[in-house]
Amino acid sequence: MEIPLAQEVIFGLVIGSYIALGAVGFTLVYGLVNMINFAHGEFITIGAFAGYLAVVVAGLPLPVGILVALVATAVVGWGIARITFEPMNETGAVPLLMMSIGLGFVLRNGMRVIAGPSSRRVRLDVATYRFDDLGFFVTSQQLLIIGLALAAVVVMHLFLSRTMLGIAMRATSDNEDLALVSGIDTRRIRNAVWLAASGLAGVAGVMLALSQGANPTTGFGQLLLIITAAILGGAGSPYGAVVGAYLLGIGITVSVEFLPSGLTELNATMAFVVLIVVLLIRPGGIVNTEVRTS
Amino acid sequence: MTDLTSRIEDLPGDAVHAGLIAVGAALLFLASPLFVQAPSGSLVFFEVGVLFVLYAMVLVGLNLQFGHAGLVNFGPVAFFAVGGYTAAVLTAEDPFQGVGLGLPWPVGLAAGVLAAMALGVLLGVSTLRLRDDFLAIVTLAVAEIVHGSIITFRDITGGTNGLQNVPQPVAGTTDAGGNAELVSTVLVFGAFALLFYGLFRRLSASPYGRVLRAIRADEQVTETLGKRVFRYKLVVFVYGAAVAGLAGALLVFYNGAASDTFFTIDMTVIVWVGMLIGGAGSDRGVLGGLAVIMSFQLLTRFFNDSIPFVTQDQFASIRLMLIGLLLMIIIKYRPEGIWGNADRLGVDS
Repeated sequence: MEIPLAQEVIFGLVIGSYIALGAVGFTLVYGLVNMINFAHGEFITIGAFAGYLAVVVAGLPLPVGILVALVATAVVGWGIARITFEPMNETGAVPLLMMSIGLGFVLRNGMRVIAGPSSRRVRLDVATYRFDDLGFFVTSQQLLIIGLALAAVVVMHLFLSRTMLGIAMRATSDNEDLALVSGIDTRRIRNAVWLAASGLAGVAGVMLALSQGANPTTGFGQLLLIITAAILGGAGSPYGAVVGAYLLGIGITVSVEFLPSGLTELNATMAFVVLIVVLLIRPGGIVNTEVRTS
Repeated sequence: MTDLTSRIEDLPGDAVHAGLIAVGAALLFLASPLFVQAPSGSLVFFEVGVLFVLYAMVLVGLNLQFGHAGLVNFGPVAFFAVGGYTAAVLTAEDPFQGVGLGLPWPVGLAAGVLAAMALGVLLGVSTLRLRDDFLAIVTLAVAEIVHGSIITFRDITGGTNGLQNVPQPVAGTTDAGGNAELVSTVLVFGAFALLFYGLFRRLSASPYGRVLRAIRADEQVTETLGKRVFRYKLVVFVYGAAVAGLAGALLVFYNGAASDTFFTIDMTVIVWVGMLIGGAGSDRGVLGGLAVIMSFQLLTRFFNDSIPFVTQDQFASIRLMLIGLLLMIIIKYRPEGIWGNADRLGVDS
């Protein structure tokens, strides 16, 4: 069956939306705490389960459910970071990275012990809008996911450019020592980053619970695409991460059309090719951040 | 602790010679009509023993990469899997699904090593010039991708069915029964592990190893001393990839089948936790650490039956949770491990 290009782009926008929210959080942590957080996928999973509990179990309306997931994941993620990462902030990138791998193992398997491996779907009434002349359709759920992501990006932009805390955040990301001598409390900044990154992960988790269902590996399954999007955009740059996420999302769905059938589950392999090509040609990503050691 | 450490480091004898003798003896044993049967009840120990010696081979390469040169390779399982599946695809005969070319096993073994080395070169060239943690991202991501691709490309790899009817060269030398083939496998693989341990230990004890530790301590200073840092890092990376590929191919020849379940991130974490418990950079220490973590796994296996209200799936998850927790605790409280040297690793405990 031939799927029109416009349809593929819509699917790509949906995938790009939850990758974008994950990648922005990932890249903020990378830029400000100076660590690669492999447990970021687990924060998304926490959001997915929080959304499921709020909407399906507690029966709250979806907007409230999203808010609950956002706040719950933000607080839980921040709390976990306070206990695990913050005390060893001075040890450098590699120990922090290993710590996050251990943490990811604990959280992922912990959730599996409690929730079991099966997937839980958040079901909503979905309206489908067809545009048969143009050959594509879009569901209310897809519009919701794309709209949420765009709203989150706009809020993030306003936060980073208009508020003191956001400006202090960008300053810390550029040069932590200079930020410190100009009177910025970098500890407070790190707290804010963990809250923001986990909160965004929570929203991404709800989106995934809506479109694919919540299970203990929901977030871990997206981690690879998130990392690729963040590197593609330029590690540490939230704007780059958004662009990278949508490029990757649309790239994945559109390229499926040009690949022989049977190879449609190539998401992971596509990400690999993108990752290696970016690192070979332009390791700084779209915004060209500095990543070489010497 | 230091007393014990120095005593462990100063044991007499040379592992390369011992390894060569052991390999020769093991091969002689295979060719001879002699056999040793495993006592009943000890089966599980020999099964874990085979995995231990294979993981040990991966670990000696990983320890050269991380413990000595400071390269954070978080995807040893990627090379392990590429070696294993290359060997399986080339040698399997009429698998249930997927490709099996039915070539003789030495071809598969060599191709497995070469394929793993090729992946090592590709990854090394693209990432070894970047920040330390980029290598960690890329290797971990690649390990996930290799695992995902094994499942996706089911027309070649057999997907979740795996590849069957792979030749079992070691098991084929005896038909005595009583798990005699398992004992032979442990002996032969163990001898090879000893040999590689000896070779990598010589490498790390030589001036070459000093350059690696200099790179770990400070790349720029090493570069100004006229050492080609990038080339050293690349070569070390490829050495590790080669020995991991070999171990993967041996695993497939031992099982007589390849399955994606042998090549998950769990293997990476076990090897890493073993290395960190033992103390990265201490050649004997890391093997001790691997023994600790694998005995922990072996012992907890017996607990499952005695704990009520916990399903097998939950129990497996709890075990992995504990391993993750152990990793976190070591990183935080004893980053140099049990037998490691904190000064040489440049960590504060």
